[in-house]
Amino acid sequence: MPPSQPPPLLSLHGVSRSYGERVALRPIDVALTAGRCVAIMGPNGSGKSTLLRIAAGRDAPTAGQVVYAGRALSQDDLVVRTEIAVVGDMVSAYPDLTVREHLELVAVAHGAGRDRDELIDGALADCNLADHGGALPGSLSSGQLQALHLATMLVRPRRLMVLDEPEQRLDPARRRWLGELLHAEKQAGAAVLMATHHVELAAAAADHILVLRDGELVAQGTPDTALAALG
Amino acid sequence: MTVSSEAIAVPDSTAPTISLLRELRRGRTRQRAASAAYWVYIIVLIVALYGGSQIAAAFHALRHPPPAIALTPRILHAAPAGLAALALILLLVLLRDALWRGPVTLPQVTVDWVLGTPVDRGRLLRPRFRVSAAVAVLAGAAVGVVPAAALVGLGLGGRNSGSVLRLTLVAMLSTALLFCFATGSAALVERSADAARWLRRLTPYACAAAAVLAGMAVWAALGGPAPVLSAIALWSGPWGWAAQGMTALAGGAAPLWPAATALTGVLAVVFVIWGHHAAAGVPGAALRVRARTIGAMSAAVLSMDTRGIAVAYGGRASGRRARLRLRPPRRRELVLLWRDLLALARAPSRLLGAAVLALLAVGLLAVAGPGGQASLVPVATALGLGYLAAAWLCEGARLDAEDTRRSENLPFRFESLAWWHAAVPCLVLLVVAGAPVVAASVATGSARFVVWLVVIVPVLVAGALVNVFRPRNHPDLFGGVETAVGNTAAIGVLLWFVWGPVLAVAPMTVLLSSALHASRPGALTRTVVVGLGLAAGLGIYASVRARRLRSA
Repeated sequence: MPPSQPPPLLSLHGVSRSYGERVALRPIDVALTAGRCVAIMGPNGSGKSTLLRIAAGRDAPTAGQVVYAGRALSQDDLVVRTEIAVVGDMVSAYPDLTVREHLELVAVAHGAGRDRDELIDGALADCNLADHGGALPGSLSSGQLQALHLATMLVRPRRLMVLDEPEQRLDPARRRWLGELLHAEKQAGAAVLMATHHVELAAAAADHILVLRDGELVAQGTPDTALAALG
Repeated sequence: MTVSSEAIAVPDSTAPTISLLRELRRGRTRQRAASAAYWVYIIVLIVALYGGSQIAAAFHALRHPPPAIALTPRILHAAPAGLAALALILLLVLLRDALWRGPVTLPQVTVDWVLGTPVDRGRLLRPRFRVSAAVAVLAGAAVGVVPAAALVGLGLGGRNSGSVLRLTLVAMLSTALLFCFATGSAALVERSADAARWLRRLTPYACAAAAVLAGMAVWAALGGPAPVLSAIALWSGPWGWAAQGMTALAGGAAPLWPAATALTGVLAVVFVIWGHHAAAGVPGAALRVRARTIGAMSAAVLSMDTRGIAVAYGGRASGRRARLRLRPPRRRELVLLWRDLLALARAPSRLLGAAVLALLAVGLLAVAGPGGQASLVPVATALGLGYLAAAWLCEGARLDAEDTRRSENLPFRFESLAWWHAAVPCLVLLVVAGAPVVAASVATGSARFVVWLVVIVPVLVAGALVNVFRPRNHPDLFGGVETAVGNTAAIGVLLWFVWGPVLAVAPMTVLLSSALHASRPGALTRTVVVGLGLAAGLGIYASVRARRLRSA
């Protein structure tokens, strides 16, 4: 008897998205189980971010269904807000709060208790922001701001991580670290869905790669086969 | 353990989060309160210094309100339907506000950092609704003073200050209740996409109903069956109920006005409670879109970018595909003409609006034309409308001025763009306004109408381009310069906005109104020479402004 497949944590069935007359995403099926990472690749405008927004419940599909942990996905669902960590669509920061205070806010909002300081110190160290805990966002470089956004993910509980080009603006060392981090997250049981342009990151972290072009799935498979298709 | 493959318990983190955020932002909150208090102080000071004596005189004059005039009975007949029409339009405007903003909004940072957390939405959003409802009460009461003042000024304020005060208070109360009703309903619209769709569908019908009410008001004023029309208008809906108190205290027939006002009150309370309940359920997606739109709009308002405001508002509707295509020209000299034609062809509403304005201007000039009274006002109004038409057609130039990098790949110097962008607006205006003008010339056998058109159009387009290539606003603009007659900041800001139309419309008004009534043959030549000289001068000025804009 073959070993039974764990049920997918997140599944998209025939999901498509149009904005007026423009088709951003053609019908696609995606299934993601705990402890696995699916990377979405493709050129700009291919529908990666649209797919991620739908997968994070930030946008509703024009057609199709998104199911998270057996329930219809909605960003307004408390469970979704508790379990899905999203990085990529943050555009602003409190100008008067320090890096550390931003992380405190997220940690407290997610119910962090006595371990709060430890969590925050760990996230700051992991994201190379230990020396910038007292800095205001206005004084950070774009790479450090991206590191702050990644750090927010580390101070909150997470079962699914949805990351839109998490490598952007990071230096090579941080990108390598990110690959290791995502690998560790998978090992710990989290599911990861990410869009990336970075082949090395996809190869390091992903178990399965989807290649999109003009909103259409044109190739998929293991990193080896999909990256070969991507050329 | 923060990473899990199993379900994670939803934490009860609302109270600690809100309290932490309050504590972290205490300094900023204090700073904002101090800033708000400062502005209130400045406004009170300005009102007291410049308007104190007028306000005191107005209160003093209330002892003897203006007496009735000949038109007063007609106005009284028109008041019920007229006030109901105004109330309906006001209600519609307040409700449609919920389609892009609404009473429940969050700043972008709160959307980015708190909305995605398990913090209770009710605790986050309901205070926002309560603030909006409180502001609605104050704004409604303030707006209510306007119809009351109009009624008093038209001789419907009664015989003493007591009757004026009663009329004003009832007007303030009715309008405040209408605002509350609108705020509660707006929260429902914000919460439900279906309600928003219904509002969009019902808008034309509501406009038609307001037009019917306005028509009833005119009919009643002209001698229609006032009691019947009044009863229909006053009981046609909440807008009519809100108008009853004002109608009755102005001397009109609304015997059940206390009941109607109470009805408006009940409706307001019910909808505010309903809206308060619904506020917690406004979808995150709606809050995200609104935060983005408001952010873009606030930035545009702060930089006094009127076009940016329109773009932020219209930017919500995306996803259109460009269907219409024009084959690009082979000659490089024609590329900007092609680009401007394409811009207009893809925005037919802009073209249509400009055509309507141009035809209105021609119509007004025909009325004020030869044989009419020698008044500058209709001529200035017609030229103002023509200027607006020209400004609407200068979209291509506006895009280039908005971001000077856009034209970097074009084979033109930036300062020459002002000239190139003048071609299409001139052409369109000459064609649109030319048809009736040529017809009038043929009918009267006089070519001077056509000559005037050929002179006016380039002047107005050049004036529009002067405005398009205005310098970026600078904080110094708001500082102004202290002079013996006061600070120049207000005039500076005003001129920053209207320098183009001032330079084009004012001299052209003088020139054209003298030409309209002149019979000497030399007058036409003078108009042509001065007008074309003005157009050339404005074109050169626009070009100089473009160069400065680029180098700034």
